[in-house]
Amino acid sequence: MSKQLDLLDIQGNVVRAYGRYNFPFARYVFLNIRDAKRGRAFVGAVTEEVTTGVRWDDGPNPIKKPPSTVNIGFAYQGLKELEVPRASLIGFPMEFVMGMKKRKDILGDDGPSAPQHWDPIWRDNRETDRHKDVHIWISINGQSHLDVQRRYEWLQQLVHHSAGGVAILTGHRGDNNTEHLPFQDVHAVFENGKPTSKEHFGYTDGIGDPVFEGLPGKPERVVGRGKQMRDGKWSPLATGEFILGHRDEADEYPTAPSPQLLSRNGTFMVYRKLHENVGSFNALLDRAGASFPGGRELLAAKFVGRWRDNGAPLVSAPDAKSKAEWDEKFAQANQAERDRMLSGFTYDDDMQGAKCPFSSHMRRINPRASLESTPGAFNTPGALANRRRVIRRGLPYGEVKDTTRDDGNHGIVIMMLNASIQRQFEFVQQQWINYGNDFNASNDKEIILGNHCPMQQSKAVIEADPDSDAPPFFLTNIPRLVETRGGDYFFIPSMTALRMIAQGIVDPT
Amino acid sequence: MGNKNGKAYALTCLSPIRQGHIDGVAYCDEVRHRLQHWGLLEDSPMAKVPQTYLCRYFVLNDVYYESLAGPDIFSTMYEILSFFSDRFRTAALPREDHLKSKYLVFSCNLHGDLDTYLRGMWDAISEDIQRIWCFCYGFDKVKDADSFVAYMKKCQLDAALFFVGSNDDPLPEQLKALYLKQEFSHFAAEHQGLPPAELQRAYRAFMQRVQPLNLASPTWKPGQSSLPSLEERREQAA
Repeated sequence: MSKQLDLLDIQGNVVRAYGRYNFPFARYVFLNIRDAKRGRAFVGAVTEEVTTGVRWDDGPNPIKKPPSTVNIGFAYQGLKELEVPRASLIGFPMEFVMGMKKRKDILGDDGPSAPQHWDPIWRDNRETDRHKDVHIWISINGQSHLDVQRRYEWLQQLVHHSAGGVAILTGHRGDNNTEHLPFQDVHAVFENGKPTSKEHFGYTDGIGDPVFEGLPGKPERVVGRGKQMRDGKWSPLATGEFILGHRDEADEYPTAPSPQLLSRNGTFMVYRKLHENVGSFNALLDRAGASFPGGRELLAAKFVGRWRDNGAPLVSAPDAKSKAEWDEKFAQANQAERDRMLSGFTYDDDMQGAKCPFSSHMRRINPRASLESTPGAFNTPGALANRRRVIRRGLPYGEVKDTTRDDGNHGIVIMMLNASIQRQFEFVQQQWINYGNDFNASNDKEIILGNHCPMQQSKAVIEADPDSDAPPFFLTNIPRLVETRGGDYFFIPSMTALRMIAQGIVDPT
Repeated sequence: MGNKNGKAYALTCLSPIRQGHIDGVAYCDEVRHRLQHWGLLEDSPMAKVPQTYLCRYFVLNDVYYESLAGPDIFSTMYEILSFFSDRFRTAALPREDHLKSKYLVFSCNLHGDLDTYLRGMWDAISEDIQRIWCFCYGFDKVKDADSFVAYMKKCQLDAALFFVGSNDDPLPEQLKALYLKQEFSHFAAEHQGLPPAELQRAYRAFMQRVQPLNLASPTWKPGQSSLPSLEERREQAA
C-alpha cells in the first residue's frame, strides 16, 4: 500500500500551491512577539483557522474549500520568544538558528542584493532593536482581493485582542517608493482579466514542483517530478526530503528538534523577496538577441530552459520548427497529456546542453539525471539531484509600469520548502546558481538568478551541438537580473506542534 | 613507489618538536604561532618555492582518541583465558595510543624529483625554514641545502594521496594553462561573430599578448586562487 500522509496534520501550503487552486491573491504578514504568554494565546487563536493539507469537498464529512487560507511559521527567534524549551531549540539546524541574513556569503547576497539594501523590515531584523525582529510569518491566500482583505481584518482583530502580546511589523516596500507597509501583497500577473502563471520577465513559473511519497494527486504526476529511475520510470521522492519525521532519500530521518511531536509533519521554509530588473533583462535580450542565431525569443527560452509563451521545455522543442509542432500537439492534448509534455522529460538526449544550456535556470535548479555523466555511475541516475530538490511556492508582486526600467515595485516572493535548508536550498543557491563547476561550466552562474557582477564580466555559454558546425554562443556582460530584497528562514510546524506551542507544553524530556 | 604519480610527488614529513619553551611559550605553540603569521596564497613563503602544487603545514599535538581499537587474535585468546585470571582480562583491554612527541607536519604535492624540490625550497626560503624548524629535534645539524635534504628525508613518511585539482605537469605550465584558458574564454566571448579576416587579426593580436610559449609571463602567480578583477585585467592588457 502506498504511503498515506496525515494531511489533517500538515499545513496546506506544504502540499498545495494555492495559486494553482484559484487563490491568485496573497498577503504575507510578519509579527513581533512582545509577551510570551499572550503571544502563545495569539498563536492558539490563529491555529484554529490554519488551513491544513486535507482535500477539500472530498469524502465523508468533507471540509469545504475556504474563500481564503491561513498558514503560519516561526523564525528561530520567534520560537525562543514563545518559550519553546531550550532543549528543543538546540535541536534546530544551525542555518535556521542563524537566519538568512547571516548566511549572505553562502547565498551570494552581495552588491545590490546585500542586506543593507533590503526592505526595512528585513534590513532591521535581528539588528539592534528586538522589537523589530521578525518572529512570525503568516500567509493569507484568497480567491479574491476582498477575501484576502477580510482575512487580514480578522488577523488585525486577533492582534488587537492579544493586548500588546504581538505586533504586526511594518517596513515592506511598495508602490510609489512607500517603505513602511505592514504587509507584503502578492498576486498573479493578470492578462485580459485572467490570472496567469507568468512572472515579470514573461516566463511561465512553477511547473516542475517535486512529487514525493504520500503527496495527494494523480499518480501519473510523478513523471518528470519525482526521481528518474534506472529503467526510465519515475518514482516519488522520499517524503523526508520535504517533511520532517519521515524517511529521506538516504533512508534516514532528517535532522529535527525533539520531541518528535514538535518536528514531525513540519518543515522548513525559505522566504525570499526578489526584485526583477526588467529593464536590464529586456536590454540584455535586445543586445544578445540581435546576434543570437535562433533569435530573441529562443534566446529568452535558453535563459530558462522553457519557451516563455507556454513553458514548452527546450529539450522537447529546441528550435522554432519543433516548437511549432510541440504547440500543435499541446493545443490538442488533454490535461494529463499537457502535464506530461511540460514536465515529463529527461536530459538523456541532451547531455551536451545543445538544447537546454547548462547555465539555464531549469537545468541548474534541477539537473535531473544529467549529472551522471558516466552511465551507471550512481545507484540511481538522479542521485546527485534527488537530495537537492525544493518545493517552490509564491507569487509575483507589484506591476511593471515601464519595461525599459529596473526600478519600481515588481518582482517575486518565492518560498522554498525543504527538510534541510542547508543541504537543499543553500546548496543549490551556492553551488548550482552562483557557481558552475558541477556542470563543467567553470564559474559561470545561472543566467537569471546568478549574482552577476559587472566587475567580473559575468558570462554564460549557450552550447551548440558538437556534431554541427555551429559555434557555441557566448552571452557576455550579464547584468544582475534579480536582486534579493529580504527574507528569512522559517519553521512550518504541524498542526499538532502548533497546538503544543500555543499551549506551552512542548516537552523534550 | 607510492609517493609518485607520473611526475607528481606526494611528500609528507613529520618533524618531532623538542620539549621546552621560549619565554614561557611551549616550542610547539611557538611553531604554530609562527606558521599562523605566514601570508596566505600568493603571499605565502611557499609561493616562492618552485614547483609547489599545494602544501599544508600543521602542528600535531597528539592523536585523537576516537574509539577503542578492535581486539586482535591475541586479545581474543586473552579474553578466553580471562575466565581463569584477572591478569589476562587486563591484557585483553585495548590500549590507547599516544604520540611520543609533538610534530611539525609538512605535507606537499610537487612536480619532479624530491631532491631538486627540497634544494629549491632551501634556496628560496631558507630563513623561513629555519624560523619554523629550529624547534625540531636534529634540525641544529641542518646548515645548507644538502643537510636540509638529508634531514627532510629522515622525517619522510610514505604517502599516496594526491591533490586532484592538478595533473603532473610542471607548475609554470599549469599556471600558464589556467591563464590561457581564462583569457581565451574572454577572447572567444568578446570576439564572437566577427568576419573571418577580422577575427584572425584579433586572434593574432591576442596570441601576441598572451604569448602561449612564454611560461614566465603573462601568467598566473603561484598561489593565486581568484580571478583578477576587470580593472586588474585592463591594467595587465595595457
